[in-house]
Amino acid sequence: MSPLPSFARVLRDHRRGLATWALAVGAITAFYLAFYPMMGQEMVDAVQGMPEGLMRGLGYDRIGTGAGYVDALIVGLLAPLLLLVHAIALGGRLIAGQEEDGSLELDFAAPVSRRRLYLERAAAAWTLVLALVAVLATVVVAMNGPAELALELGHVPAVALPLALLVGGFASVAFAIGAATGRRGAAVGVAAGLAVFAYVVRGVADATGNDLLGAFSPFVWLLGPEPLQNGWDWGATAKLALITVVALPLGLLRFERRDLGV
Amino acid sequence: MTHHPAIRTVGLIKDYGRHRALNGLDLEVRRGETFGFLGPNGAGKSTTIRVLLDLLRPDGGTAEVLGLAPRDAGPSLRARIGYLPGELHVAGRTPAGDALRHFAALRGGRGRDRIAPLAERLSLDLRRPVRALSKGNKQKVGVIQAFMHAPELLILDEPTSGLDPLLQQEVLSLIREAAAEGATVLMSSHVLREVEEVADRVAIVRDGRTIDVDEVAALRARAGQRVRLRFAEPVDPEPFRAVANAERVEIDGATVRCVLHGEPHELLRLAARHHAVAWEARDRDLEELFLDVYRLNDRTAARAEPGNGAAR
Ligand SMILES: Nc1ncnc2c1ncn2[C@@H]1O[C@H](COP(=O)(O)OP(=O)(O)OP(=O)(O)O)[C@@H](O)[C@H]1O
Ligand SMILES: [Mg+2]
Repeated sequence: MSPLPSFARVLRDHRRGLATWALAVGAITAFYLAFYPMMGQEMVDAVQGMPEGLMRGLGYDRIGTGAGYVDALIVGLLAPLLLLVHAIALGGRLIAGQEEDGSLELDFAAPVSRRRLYLERAAAAWTLVLALVAVLATVVVAMNGPAELALELGHVPAVALPLALLVGGFASVAFAIGAATGRRGAAVGVAAGLAVFAYVVRGVADATGNDLLGAFSPFVWLLGPEPLQNGWDWGATAKLALITVVALPLGLLRFERRDLGV
Repeated sequence: MTHHPAIRTVGLIKDYGRHRALNGLDLEVRRGETFGFLGPNGAGKSTTIRVLLDLLRPDGGTAEVLGLAPRDAGPSLRARIGYLPGELHVAGRTPAGDALRHFAALRGGRGRDRIAPLAERLSLDLRRPVRALSKGNKQKVGVIQAFMHAPELLILDEPTSGLDPLLQQEVLSLIREAAAEGATVLMSSHVLREVEEVADRVAIVRDGRTIDVDEVAALRARAGQRVRLRFAEPVDPEPFRAVANAERVEIDGATVRCVLHGEPHELLRLAARHHAVAWEARDRDLEELFLDVYRLNDRTAARAEPGNGAAR
């Protein structure tokens, strides 16, 4: 018997989904990394022709190095696309989505406090996000030699954890809004909107060199310090953690007070 | 403890946005009784039940379950309740057995060992995914999880809906057995017939208010008799309409039909003035009484002014 039945239940429900996503994320990451030795120089040449602002905006100015390539393509493009889509959908589903389809009615009526249900399910969302980021990081490490990335492997956790905090952060925003409102559409819509906005802000900030604008984008917190090159940036990591630390308690506050399943 | 009623609501009010679903609902269910909670669609039965489980927070009035406020008592109170929701949904492809073990795990494992015997009794295949089950089989999953931990209080929202007559009987006997062991049962339904078999008392709700509470036996007595009198020739309708304890008087030439409550004395005396050729009187069943209540437009009931023939 699990001491954390709600947590265990979510993981069991998402076993298959997690395996599928892990395979997809792993395969796509490996595929892109495999291109590095072949396309490295050509891309650098192609990129040289781009306007400088655009080049920096996309993070392509450093694309000639393994660390720059991983930052630009994997952390800056693939991860947001694949992981964030999955994580936001998951965050929206774990309370609001299942509340709307009625499959949480008996969990709500069980002798479990709302707080406990909320925390166990949030922990489960986080576990799933961490698992996917771990798969991605493992593939990067495994491809370091074959793809001639020449990464400082000790720096991989310094980008993996902030990446997890960003992805998990947006999952937490979706989760918290879902728990606060009981509306999956609102949860996913707002979280996805914020993510897209933050992503665009980072592009604009980088392209124009506007540091003040960049200060508000979690993507700048993640990629700005170039952790794969430079190692840990604890300030940026802490800011990324703040998304979750703020979102989850606010969601709980409302979740404990509102009507369920209406 | 036992001096508290099992359930008491006083003046319960619940709004969904601008729509008032409960409009001062009063309800009292005594310890150990089986109580039928009846009303048409949208009367507020599920809303009341969901307030009792602290899924909804009322906008006014008070609710007490086993002497405690659902809101304050929280999980420890829900541990003593078995709840069957009006509709059961289970996530994903979870097999029925896994879903039921999860519900037991949420109760610290209580009831886990009764899953298999109950499934056998209701002939439910525990290996099939809940999502793939028919409505009736899904309902069995709900019934099992409500009964498995032998709770003190069973709150059942339309427990027999979707079940074939055989299984309806099986569920009703589960209810009887639980009641025999001392459990209190609140069951909602649209149909009096299934409730009257097991219930001691029933409440009838409409538009978020309790409009009638009575013992099943008393209700039955109140249902009255349906009387048909045929005379040799057409009669003057007015005296018949004036009979105090006759309702829904219909006069069609020489035939008089009405619903009679209590003694037939006055009607018979009136009939004796004419040449009666046929006489028929049959006890009405509760279903007919219930339909009367359903049809009532507002709280000024025909029952409150009997004899005015408020046939609708
Ligand atoms: N989530 C909701 N949002 C808005 N209105 C609701 C909601 N749930 C119920 N209502 C309204 O509240 C009233 C009471 O509904 P409730 O579900 O309690 O009735 P009920 O007696 O259980 O009906 P039924 O026999 O059909 O199950 C109805 O008018 C219904 O339309
Ligand atoms: Mg209902």
